[in-house]
Amino acid sequence: MKRLLTTTAILLTAGIAQAAEITIVREVDSNNYDPHKSTARGASEVLFMMGDTLVSLAPDMQTIEAGIAESWEVSEDGKTYTFKIRDDVTFCDGKKLTAEDVAYSVNRWIDPETKSPVGWRAGEVESVTALDDTTVEYKLTAPFSELLYQLTQSFGTIIDKENVEALGADFGVTGFNGTGPFCWGEWTPRDKMILTKHEAYTWGAPFHSNTGPASMDKITWQIVPEENTRTVAVITGQSEVTQYVPYIALEQLKATPGVEVVQSDLAFWTYFMGFKIDKETVSDPAVRTAINLAVNQEAMAEDLFFGVVQPAYSYVSQEALDWNRDLDDKLLKYDPEKANQILDDAGWVRGDDGVRSKDGVRLAPTAYVFAGSTWGKISEAVQAYLREIGVDMQIEAYDATVAWGKLATQEFDMFGMSFPYVSSGDALNLYFRSENMPTPNRMNWNDPKTDELLLAGATALTDEKRSSSYGEVLEIVHDAAVWLPLYHEPMVIAQSDKLETIVPHNIYGSGLYKGLDLKFKE
Amino acid sequence: MMTQILNRLLISIPVLFGVLLLGFGLLILVPGDPAIVLAGPTATPDVVAAIREEMGLDEPVLVQFFKYLGRVVQGDLGRSLISNKTVISELLAAIGPTAELMFACLIWSIPLGIGMGTLAAVYRGSLIDRAIMAISVAGVSLPIFFICLMLIHFVGVQWRLLPFIGRGGPLWSVDGLRHIALPALSLGAIFIGPVARMTRSSVLEVLKLDHVRTARAKGLSELRVILRHGLRNALIPVVTLIGLQAGYLLGGAVVTESIFSYPGVGRLAVGAILSSDFPLAQGAILILALGFILINMIVDILYALLDPRVQQ
Repeated sequence: MKRLLTTTAILLTAGIAQAAEITIVREVDSNNYDPHKSTARGASEVLFMMGDTLVSLAPDMQTIEAGIAESWEVSEDGKTYTFKIRDDVTFCDGKKLTAEDVAYSVNRWIDPETKSPVGWRAGEVESVTALDDTTVEYKLTAPFSELLYQLTQSFGTIIDKENVEALGADFGVTGFNGTGPFCWGEWTPRDKMILTKHEAYTWGAPFHSNTGPASMDKITWQIVPEENTRTVAVITGQSEVTQYVPYIALEQLKATPGVEVVQSDLAFWTYFMGFKIDKETVSDPAVRTAINLAVNQEAMAEDLFFGVVQPAYSYVSQEALDWNRDLDDKLLKYDPEKANQILDDAGWVRGDDGVRSKDGVRLAPTAYVFAGSTWGKISEAVQAYLREIGVDMQIEAYDATVAWGKLATQEFDMFGMSFPYVSSGDALNLYFRSENMPTPNRMNWNDPKTDELLLAGATALTDEKRSSSYGEVLEIVHDAAVWLPLYHEPMVIAQSDKLETIVPHNIYGSGLYKGLDLKFKE
Repeated sequence: MMTQILNRLLISIPVLFGVLLLGFGLLILVPGDPAIVLAGPTATPDVVAAIREEMGLDEPVLVQFFKYLGRVVQGDLGRSLISNKTVISELLAAIGPTAELMFACLIWSIPLGIGMGTLAAVYRGSLIDRAIMAISVAGVSLPIFFICLMLIHFVGVQWRLLPFIGRGGPLWSVDGLRHIALPALSLGAIFIGPVARMTRSSVLEVLKLDHVRTARAKGLSELRVILRHGLRNALIPVVTLIGLQAGYLLGGAVVTESIFSYPGVGRLAVGAILSSDFPLAQGAILILALGFILINMIVDILYALLDPRVQQ
C-alpha cells in the first residue's frame, strides 16, 4: 500500500511538474522567417533556433565547427567543397534530412527567382548537388575563402523543400519545418513568436554545453517596443531574458535581486560614420584624418554608453579574423591639437565664425543619420568635437523607413551606420568593393588596388594569403581615413538568475544563438 | 427610425471614401520606400528595384489607388507587405483584443464617471465636489502615456500586482483579465474626467427644472428625484459625449496598446506605419475610421431613443 501511494505521488508530481518555459522580450519583429528573404536581426535570432546550418561558428567568432555537416573537404583549387552530412538529423515533422535538402536550400538561396538580398553570401556558385544521401558537392566558379563563415549565418539555414512548396508565399509566415533545437509553434506578427522543443534534436555543435535536446520546452519571443517596459519586464520576472535593454538601465539591472547581466568580451557590431570621399567637403584626406583625430571615442563610450561599449578606432573589431595587427599602433586616436595642425597645414583657414574653409569650400559637411536616441546623441557628440577643429557638421536625421532610401543617394557628405560581421573579409567585401556603389559602398570608395586585394582575399587558397590580402585592404582604407570608427558594441544580455549563466554569442547580433544553453538552474 | 439609420449609412459612404483617399494619400506622401526596408541595408539597387516591381510600387500613384479602391470594394484589402498574411486576417486577429479593451475600459469608467458627476452635482460646492472635479481635471490633463507608465511603475513593478505585457488570453479567462486590467485602467482614466464633468453640469441644469421641483413637491425621496427625474434627463448630452469620447478612445488605444504591448488594432496601425507596410496601415486606418463611424451611429440612435424630439 505504501509503495502504491509513493508511486502515485511520484506520478502526480511528474504530471504537475511545470514545463520549462521562458519569455524573451525584444524590440522589433522580423518581416518573415524565410532565411533567404529577410535580413532582419529579428529573423536570424529565431532562425538560428528553428534551423541549422552546414557549419557552426564558435563563440570566439573565429572557429568553424561542425553543423549539419560533420566534416568537409576543400579541393586544392579551392573551388569545390565536399560536405559529409550527418545521417541522424531530422526535421521537426520527423522527416529525415538528406543531402538533397542541403542542395535544395543553397540552390533556392542563389536562385534569381528568390530575389534574395543576401544571395552573394553563398559565393559564385557553379552547382550544388547531392552526390548521395549524405554527401553534398558545393562547386564554385572561383574560390571563396569566406564561404564557411558565410554558411554559418542564418541565411544558410537548411530548409525542407516539401515545406517550402506546400506553403508557397506563406513559407516562413505560417510555418517553417526546420532541424533546429526548436520548432515553429505559432507566430503573431508584431506580437509574439512561440517555439516548442524539438525532442529529437541531438546534433548541437560541440561548443554548446548542451548538444540537445534543448532544456526549454517552450520559448516565447515577445515583442515589446517600449524600452522601459522591456527593462521592468526583466526586473519583475515577466521576461527571463532580453538583449534589448537601454545601457542606462544596466546598472539598475545589475543591482536588482534576481537579475544577472552578462556581457561578451567580443564586440562584432561596429558603429561608424563614413565619408562620401568624392564630396568637396571631405575629399581631402587631411580633413578626414583631422576629423578622426578630433573625436574622443573613449569619452563617448564612457559618457554616452556608460562604459559598456568599446571605443573603436578600427573599422572592424581588433579581435576579428584577419585583423591586421600591424595597424594596432597606427590607429587614429584623440589628438585635437594634431587635428588642428593638419588642417592648418592643408590650408583650411578658420573664418570669423570659427569654421574653416578653403578655395571657397566651407568645411560644413552634411551628415545623414538615423533618427532616434542612439544616433541622436552620437552625432551631436561628434558635431561638438568637430566644432573644436573648425568643422561645422550639419546633422540630418531620418526615420529608419526613410533613411535607407536617403542613404542610397549622393546628397550627403557623411553618414552614420552600424553593422554586424563575422570577419574582416565579411565587412570589407561588403563596404569597399567598387561594384557595391552607391550602396552599401556609400563612400564611393573606388580603388582598383582595393578591388584587386579584396578579390585576392576572397579567392585565397590559404589562410595566410587571405589574411595578408585583407590586412592590406585594412591598411589602405585606414590610411585614407574613409570612415570615422566610433564604437564596437558587445553583446549584453539581461537574464533571470533562475537561469544558468548565458554565454553571449555575437553572430549577426543574435546573442542566444541556438538557445541550447538556456536552462533553469537545478 | 429606419430612415434615420439609412441616412446615416448613406452619409458614411463618402466619409469612408474620404478616409480611403486620405489614408492612401498620406502614406504616399510620407517619405519612405518599403522595398528598401524589406531589402535591407546591404541590398544593391537592382535587388531593391526587383522588389519594388514585385510589390507594384513602380506603378503610377493613381493606378495604385484605383487598383486599391477596386479591391477594397470587393472586400479585398490586400496582403501585408511584411508578413504576407491577408490584411483582413491580420485585422480580424487584432479587432477582438481592441474590442475587449474598449469594453473593459467602458464597463468601469462610464458608471464611475456618471456616478462621480452626479455626486459632485448633488454636493455642489462641497469638498466632495471639489475632490471629484480635481480628479476629473487630472484625468483630462494627464497624457495617457504618463498614466500608463505610472500604473506600470506602481502596480506592475513596485507592488507586483498585475502583469503589463501582452494579452494573457480571452477576456473571460483569469489570465486575460489580469493582463487587460492595467491597459483598461489607463484608458478608462482619461475617460472618467470628461464624463464626470459633463454629468455634473447636466445634472445641475436638470435639477433646476420645473419637473424636478414638481417631483420634490409630490414628496418623492431625494434619491428617487435625482435618479429618476434628474439623472435620466441629464444623460442625453452625456451619451453624446460618451460616443464622441469612445471614438477618441480608439486614438488612446494606439498609445496604450503600444506601451502595454497589447496586440490590438492601434498597435497594429503603429507597427504597419513604422514598417511602411502600406496595405496593412491602410486597412488599420480604415478599421479605426469604421469604428469611429459605427460608434457615432450608435450614439445617434441612442440619442433618438432617449430624446424622442430628435426623431421628429
